[in-house]
Amino acid sequence: MITMTDVSKEYRMGAETVHALAGVSLQIDSGDFVSIMGPSGSGKSTLMNIIGCLDTPTRGSYRLADEPVERLSPDRLAEVRNSAIGFVFQTFNLLPRLNALENVELPLVYAGISSGERRATARELLDRVGLSDRVRHRPNELSGGQRQRVAIARALATKPRVLLADEPTGALDTRTGSEIMDLLEELNHDGTTLVLVTHEPELAERARRVIRLLDGRVA
Amino acid sequence: MGRRSLWESMRMSGRSIAGSPVRAALTALGVMIGVASVISLVALGRGAQEEVAGGLQQLGSNLLIVYSGAPRGTALVRTNISNIRPTLTETDLETIRGFPADMVTYVAPASTANAQLKYENRNTVSTVIGTTPEYTEVRNFRPAYGEFFSQSDVDSRSSVAAIGMQVYRDLFAPGTDPVGQRMRVNGISFRIVGVMEEKGDAAQDNSVLIPITTYQRRISGDSNYAMIAIQAASPDVMRPLQATIEEHLLRLHRLPSMESADFYVANQLDLLATVEGVAGTFTLMLASIAAISLVVGGVGIMNIMLVSVTERTREIGVRMALGARRRDIISQFLTEAVLIALGGGLIGIAIGVGGSWAVTEFARIASHITPISIVAAFGFSILVGLFFGGYPAWRASRLDPIEALRYE
Ligand SMILES: Nc1ncnc2c1ncn2[C@@H]1O[C@H](COP(=O)(O)OP(=O)(O)OP(=O)(O)O)[C@@H](O)[C@H]1O
Ligand SMILES: [Mg+2]
Repeated sequence: MITMTDVSKEYRMGAETVHALAGVSLQIDSGDFVSIMGPSGSGKSTLMNIIGCLDTPTRGSYRLADEPVERLSPDRLAEVRNSAIGFVFQTFNLLPRLNALENVELPLVYAGISSGERRATARELLDRVGLSDRVRHRPNELSGGQRQRVAIARALATKPRVLLADEPTGALDTRTGSEIMDLLEELNHDGTTLVLVTHEPELAERARRVIRLLDGRVA
Repeated sequence: MGRRSLWESMRMSGRSIAGSPVRAALTALGVMIGVASVISLVALGRGAQEEVAGGLQQLGSNLLIVYSGAPRGTALVRTNISNIRPTLTETDLETIRGFPADMVTYVAPASTANAQLKYENRNTVSTVIGTTPEYTEVRNFRPAYGEFFSQSDVDSRSSVAAIGMQVYRDLFAPGTDPVGQRMRVNGISFRIVGVMEEKGDAAQDNSVLIPITTYQRRISGDSNYAMIAIQAASPDVMRPLQATIEEHLLRLHRLPSMESADFYVANQLDLLATVEGVAGTFTLMLASIAAISLVVGGVGIMNIMLVSVTERTREIGVRMALGARRRDIISQFLTEAVLIALGGGLIGIAIGVGGSWAVTEFARIASHITPISIVAAFGFSILVGLFFGGYPAWRASRLDPIEALRYE
């Protein structure tokens, strides 16, 4: 599903070059559940951004579902993000003016799905994450755990094959975080490839495999 | 951009505008004022233009006047020609009368002199005009009461007169029937046959019209005419007719060119063109000034849209992460700018139309709203939105998704 060969990402900061990723090679199979761990600044988020096609590597090759994506145009990358990737962020990133239902519909808007179909899909997904009684609520009318559930429902909207969660429980208390993890695990059981960045070893342990990063390299 | 995605952009923009209606209204204010002033100023300009042109048409339609003497200014109708020696002859008149009917409809010679009028114990000073019945047609000047003198009055040199409304007021008590009464013009007795309609023009309202033959015999003693007024068959023949008249009269007067001519031809077309040109320039100037405020309104939109893009950087990042392409972001912000501008434009049109109407209704100042100015205001609002929303929208679409997501 995901094949990275010798991927590097460099940022220029004036005269200095920051090697956020320095030659990462990894393989994640379809339906896999992988945790990424590592100290702060080790390049976890950078790696996730590249996997999620939000960013492109400076060097190296990256194939997503056998398609080389390292040199796609911004618009093609947007289409890949829309159809193949679901993001779950630490800070949820819901749009504050839209209610839960509309937030979940958003990826489907960019997929060009008709409004009626969108609505039905979004309701189904909110039902699935246990929020069927909160569809009209705006993010600021929901608890942190509920917001993350909305965000997960949104990430699932286009039925992506890969779910990327960068510290999805980082802003939640332990119990809520654990519930969110249960939900993500459940989704992985149903076949979605899951990549999880976390600082908590007990959450990372739930994965089938843990990748440890250190200074932009797989340790 | 497909219909659906346009619709989606409109929904998103609608939400965003509804989310901060006061800001949207203030943003639209500039365009609103700009459009309202364009609409109302153009309407006032048009109104003035039409009023002046309408006034000119009142003088008579397709009017050409041959005057004695060298050209004096551009005036079509000259009021004070009594001191110019008449140079237009009977032959000149007959020549013009001989022109084919598809060129000339009516021809009326006229000469004028100052006259002392007297009726019973009342006196007044006016202009006596010697002419023929065709004068009523050519100058679009008709009796309101009684009648004009006839061709047989001309043939028999009758002492009959049609008087202007002002003359009637000066000489007669209100409600008195003047027809059949006798008045004195420079001491000569005339029987009044009619009162002319009021033109609002002192030269005509304060005149006494008598048969040209009577005028020549009893007032001036001169067989020439001061002028010959002509109604051309159509606006199209006015210029060729003017050229033909000049050519014939030059030959009859044995003159080489118009530079040395003892007559000249005033053409209503020229006057109309001059007046409309001036009024048109005036309207255009008003419109340009108003258009500047429209541009200023556009700059206001650009300013607010740039602020809005910055404020919504994170939203843009989220949208991009979820699959929004550059064109999706552009169309979202462009649609928002256009909707704001269009909203301002529509309210501006309403204010402009309402304002022009009010000015006409209550201040009696002519105004004319043309459909084209409404369509143009509508179109310009959209253009202003597109033009001034374009750069902010482009900026939004060029954001880097990661940096946008990280934006606090
Ligand atoms: N836009 C950027 N410009 C310059 N340097 C950057 C940029 N983004 C990331 N970096 C650098 O790249 C390195 C890796 O950053 P990254 O965000 O991937 O770390 P992380 O492992 O996700 O850390 P954390 O656990 O704190 O989230 C860091 O040293 C960071 O300073
Ligand atoms: Mg990180």
